[in-house]
Amino acid sequence: MAPEHRGQAVKSALKHAFNWLESQFSRLFTAQCNPLYQLGAMSFFYYWIVAITGVYLFIFFETSISGAYASVEQITHEQWYFGGVMRSFHRYASAAMGICVTLHLLREFAMDRYSGVRWFSWVSGIPLLWLLFASAIGGYWLVWDVQAQYIAITTAEWFDVLPIMVDPMASNFLNEASLSDRFFSLLVFLHIGIPLALLLGMFIHIKRISNVRTNPARGLAAGTLLAMLVISLWRPALSQAPANLDVAVTEVGLDWIFLNPYPLIDDWGPGTVWLLLVGLSTLLTILPWLPSRRPQQTPIAVVDPANCNGCGWCLADCPYEAVTLKVHDFKPGRQQSVVDPDLCISCGICAGACPSSSPFRHVDELITGISIPSLHIKELLPLTESKLRELQGTGRVMVYGCDHGSDFANTESESVACISMPCTALVPPAFIDYVLRKDLADGVMISGCCEGDCHYRLGNTWMNQRFNEERMPILRTRVPRKLVRTRWLGVQGQAQLDREILEFQHYLRHDTDAQAQAISHG
Amino acid sequence: MVKPGQYLGQALLFGLFFLPLVYLTSQPVYLRQDPQLATIKVAVRHAGAVVGECVAAGGEAYDKLPVNMRRPEICPRERSPLRLQLRLDEQTLFSVTEPASGLHSDGVSSVYRRFTVPTGRYQLSMLMNDDVAVEGFNWQLEQEIELLPAQVMVVSFKGGFRIQ
Repeated sequence: MAPEHRGQAVKSALKHAFNWLESQFSRLFTAQCNPLYQLGAMSFFYYWIVAITGVYLFIFFETSISGAYASVEQITHEQWYFGGVMRSFHRYASAAMGICVTLHLLREFAMDRYSGVRWFSWVSGIPLLWLLFASAIGGYWLVWDVQAQYIAITTAEWFDVLPIMVDPMASNFLNEASLSDRFFSLLVFLHIGIPLALLLGMFIHIKRISNVRTNPARGLAAGTLLAMLVISLWRPALSQAPANLDVAVTEVGLDWIFLNPYPLIDDWGPGTVWLLLVGLSTLLTILPWLPSRRPQQTPIAVVDPANCNGCGWCLADCPYEAVTLKVHDFKPGRQQSVVDPDLCISCGICAGACPSSSPFRHVDELITGISIPSLHIKELLPLTESKLRELQGTGRVMVYGCDHGSDFANTESESVACISMPCTALVPPAFIDYVLRKDLADGVMISGCCEGDCHYRLGNTWMNQRFNEERMPILRTRVPRKLVRTRWLGVQGQAQLDREILEFQHYLRHDTDAQAQAISHG
Repeated sequence: MVKPGQYLGQALLFGLFFLPLVYLTSQPVYLRQDPQLATIKVAVRHAGAVVGECVAAGGEAYDKLPVNMRRPEICPRERSPLRLQLRLDEQTLFSVTEPASGLHSDGVSSVYRRFTVPTGRYQLSMLMNDDVAVEGFNWQLEQEIELLPAQVMVVSFKGGFRIQ
């Protein structure tokens, strides 16, 4: 198998694994609290736990050779449970952050969310891996137990192969006599400075996306804290034997989450591990631009100044802050939207937000203020009408879905019409009103990515808010809500969506209330 | 509405997440070095002898210099590299030539090496040449040593070799 095909197979297998896991997690946690949909937010949450507990531990930590180990022992054993729990939270939250970040990276890769406009978030995330590992390793170093001794010597020898080192760093850890108290002051400085740099990097990482979720759902956060408390009481984080540089480290309990490169340094040599890690980081960095991975560039959103009144709804809804406002080309005192081609991802959410995307407008051609060339609103309207006119019988359903959700290949029937688009939030709410009011269909079903996991980040959130009249443009109050259903089931919810459509049709055919509402609305 | 069964499932998943995590933060134990081996570290930080002789300053160019910049001798900056050799009994553990640091090779030479060797008695020979003008080794240490399991023995240099 060619390498690019092997890569695709790996990605496809990962995607299926994630999809399966996500559906299981959604059953237990609900979509709103599904941890797999908020791995980034969970990473932020763990970061704050580590930061807060770190400040507490720092108050009692002594920066000296003899004081470091003793002070950590004192925190762990002599503050009854509190100090030990704080230390355990510090350690386990950092390990959990490491796992969440790794899963986050794997998931974004599997879901193809790293190229195109998303390159910035992907690339800015790579240095964060180094900073995260450096922060964690520095923390283990401060404890100054046998593991810290092993880390100190191996890290120093690892850095010594770099040509930038004039004096070998490992000379600082020859024996007990060569160790200096100042070294611990430096370590504390690094263990504060590197996590702060990590926080700055995390801020940059999310800089180019709007409405970022940095806090997990409350229920999930509460459950996480409870689970960590139980774990911390049951198996508190403890130090190993104190470091003694006069005795070689023979056996050591290792944190395999963060220290996994260390045995490789022992086995393969420092130079090989540098090559491996720098090579891996470089590969990850250039991944968005590899020819086999580069997605087909879809034409970006286009603004039609004549139909743009500068309302800013598209700007508010764009998940990537690709839309801004400028002085209108020819309407004095007005503004108009401008699309940044480097940021536009061609999702079409802006077109769904545009107030001019109303099929009720009395115009010869439905030209809208903003739209995407791959599915212009003026094309969506005749497409909808032509599909619905072919429907027969009762219980006619119009299904609007997205290309990243369920596949509609076998869903269409003589009474069900389906239209798939980049993102379901491309459908202006006025279209649903139009379809029902003109009696083109008996009901409308909106489907798409799983709730909280929109491929374009915010599509299903905005749709829910538009339908709940919380966000402009709203689905007008006159539209009977019983005739409109939203089902965010994702690609894994294919079978369920088909069942839901059948059930919806059954409802439309047999529920007299629904029929009455349809008649009155039409 | 979350059902009791879902809470149970959530607890199970939290457990499945945290239990391996807690285990992996300290287990399985990593066998870094055979406990029956000992460690020898060689750490030498030393400036080699200056290469070449100082020459008396003079001549037309010298006379044109301001008084405060005139020096009686002009000395070369380059220092000799360090040539080091460590032997245990008849076996050479390492032999290295370390150039002086700095763009003009006028800094110190630093060498650090770590070896693991079986425990037991050895005749240790640490040899060093810090002057290219001298044949052979002008610094040396010969000593019988006994290495114990997991012991760390350090050979360093400060006006002469010493073992710690």
